[in-house]
Amino acid sequence: MSYDWSVVWRNADVLWEGTKITVFLTVTTMVVAVPGGILLALMRLSRIKVLKAASVTFVEFFRNLPLILVIYTAYYILPVATGLRFSPITTAIVALSLNVSAYNGETFRAGIASIRKGQSEAGYALGMSRTRAMFEIVLPQAIRRVLPVLASTWVSLFKDTSLVSVISVGDLAFESMRVRSQTFRILEMLTAMAVIYWLLGYPQAKLVDWINKRSRVTE
Amino acid sequence: MSLDFTPIFDSWRFLLGGLGLTLGLSALTIALSVIFGGALGLARCYGPAWLRLPLVFYIDSMRSIPVLVVLIWTYFALPVVTGVTLPPFWAATLALTAHISAYVAEIIRAGISSVRAGQERAAFALGMSRYRAIRDIVLPQALVRMLPAFGSILSITIKDTAIAAVIAVPEYMNRSQTVAGQSFHPIEVFIVAMIVYFLVLFPVTRVVDMVYARYGYLGRS
Repeated sequence: MSYDWSVVWRNADVLWEGTKITVFLTVTTMVVAVPGGILLALMRLSRIKVLKAASVTFVEFFRNLPLILVIYTAYYILPVATGLRFSPITTAIVALSLNVSAYNGETFRAGIASIRKGQSEAGYALGMSRTRAMFEIVLPQAIRRVLPVLASTWVSLFKDTSLVSVISVGDLAFESMRVRSQTFRILEMLTAMAVIYWLLGYPQAKLVDWINKRSRVTE
Repeated sequence: MSLDFTPIFDSWRFLLGGLGLTLGLSALTIALSVIFGGALGLARCYGPAWLRLPLVFYIDSMRSIPVLVVLIWTYFALPVVTGVTLPPFWAATLALTAHISAYVAEIIRAGISSVRAGQERAAFALGMSRYRAIRDIVLPQALVRMLPAFGSILSITIKDTAIAAVIAVPEYMNRSQTVAGQSFHPIEVFIVAMIVYFLVLFPVTRVVDMVYARYGYLGRS
């Protein structure tokens, strides 16, 4: 069997477009899911029982579902439930955001819980309200503490965006597979896809290891 | 909007068979990944120096490529190289094991390196061999500390088997798609799929938390 690697170069522009979509999905989802996660964590700590229950339910539900299923379900349910038309890419962002928000919610909850009580109590002693102590004292410290976890979530998200190819979003995985089925250069295109993901993902994974190492607490 | 769940009741045997395959594929992948990933992790920590670089490269590469890409490559591209076409189920087992093993190896390494060096030195001071120090002192403490991470590997694996639907492994996700396509009731089918996956995954995470709450203290030194 002879291989023809020129197919990869001839379709470089398509792969480039797909790569841009992959990066766009990762960035956009994180931009939605960080505030989403903070909101879920604050709801969880709220004194209002309904908010607390809603947050716990949301987080546990989406953490215990395969993302690919959330993507499919969003694809079918969103238009019917809202009566609006959603482009595949919007659907993808909604599904990814639901998933990552749930993980971030848990991350921020743990981060806030790790800030010792004396910090917020000192705030109250200075006459701050509960809200102000949370936003000005606890949350800034918690966010700094959970940065390594958020970095890991970022890398997982980057890889998970490949799943949106199942609803025809033109990301790197989708475009590679499309060129594969048009040209029948199976090995070449799929290997190119894997290599591009590797080139983008490997430095990120290494960077996360470095961040984790730096922030590690040794006994 | 009215929901009609009859298509699911009509094909419950078909879906139940898919659930069996989901659980079977998960169990097989986890068992193989623990064996293979355990060997990788131990070789990385205690193996010869020349072996470490390729192992680290393999582990980090698997951690930086999406599992979808590994699945698709194994199923479609590997036959082009080897000339052997694996049935979807075995291609999925191979791809998922290759992927999950890297995470298992990372967990093993993190667990072992979390046991502080003084423990091993104390064992040497008592006259233990290196093998015995690792087996009787380091690994028991490390294993308990790995429990939560292994727990998340269980649920990650079950969730990842759903991705095997894209290479036509007839597991629960794939069969749901079939029923959704044939019945023209995708919403109901996928709502039921969400409930089914949740009912499988939620107890797994809960049991792991409970086990760790019960035995976590054994890992403290």
